[in-house]
Amino acid sequence: MNDAIDVIDMLAGLTAGSPLAHLRRQRPDVVKHLQGSDDVIFSPQDDGGLTRAERAAAALRIATLLRDVVLSEHYRARLAALDPDGTLARTVEGGSRTTEPRWDAILAHVDLVTRGPGSADRKDIDNLQAAGLSSHAVVSLSQLIAYVNFQSRVLAGLRMLKGAA
Amino acid sequence: MSKAMRDFTHGELDWRPWVAPLDLNAATEAQLVALKVTPSNRAVGAYSLVLAHDPEALSERSPLYNGIMFGAKGLPRADRELGAVAASRINGCAYCASVHALRFTQLTKEPEVMERVQTDGVDAALDPRRRAILDYSAKLTRDPAVIGPADAAPLRAQGLTDLEILDLTHAVAMFAWANRLMQTLGEPAALALEGNPL
Repeated sequence: MNDAIDVIDMLAGLTAGSPLAHLRRQRPDVVKHLQGSDDVIFSPQDDGGLTRAERAAAALRIATLLRDVVLSEHYRARLAALDPDGTLARTVEGGSRTTEPRWDAILAHVDLVTRGPGSADRKDIDNLQAAGLSSHAVVSLSQLIAYVNFQSRVLAGLRMLKGAA
Repeated sequence: MSKAMRDFTHGELDWRPWVAPLDLNAATEAQLVALKVTPSNRAVGAYSLVLAHDPEALSERSPLYNGIMFGAKGLPRADRELGAVAASRINGCAYCASVHALRFTQLTKEPEVMERVQTDGVDAALDPRRRAILDYSAKLTRDPAVIGPADAAPLRAQGLTDLEILDLTHAVAMFAWANRLMQTLGEPAALALEGNPL
């Protein structure tokens, strides 16, 4: 069993060998494929046209919408490394529109699917494709949005258990 | 169990994609591996064929889902399904809720539980253990930011171990994921459920 700290441990504030880190490792498949999902969503071999900087920026937006301070800082730091001049970060943090319809369409979709997944419609996918996203990019974006929503809830549960220990 | 709920057992057959599904004849090796397609098994639903546009993500998500919903020991599978039902109703996925309500009933042989949830939503009369599970599931689904250490107490008071609470957290979180894919990449072709949403 691999006891090295992974991204979820780090974000939940779990140290190696701590009771909660040990508890997580009673679910080795979950630990392995949760980290694996994080790896391929943020550092894919084939990005399908959705860049790593865009992925980090979209994740920052979701973490901000969910008011997850630790997760926001995680993605803010990742984005800073990928987007040194801060162009994407300003659109995410400032909530300002850009002059790039493609990125505006991505951010609008991030907000919609995070806040109200039941209200999405076919036109929302059509908008992404009209803005130039390939089918691969649309699916990658959808997986990313869904993953960060998942991730924040896993972290909320772990922080609860940590605080109630 | 109403007839409407029984009708939604065909899984992917009832889902209409908004992104063109992958053409298996044009699939890459990575896509075929992610889909677990073999010469003798080419029966793949539209939902999986849409997700196969990103084979890397699909290859990790499928075993993650299985580990969370079917992993041995820990929280009984029916309780994971209860968490899935709560998340799905709140997220507006009537289709997902009906599928997982059916699985709950198959596991528990207690059809009256999901009948009450279907009719009365969040106010359904449940035994204290299921009430605690449903309350936590609903709160975590709606707004993870408001979950705090005190939310563990009702679950522990009903005898849930920390591993069981972790299993429930994983299941509810997985439906924050699943509901977002299924409702935004296409359209579950389900009838509206009767009763009030949770």
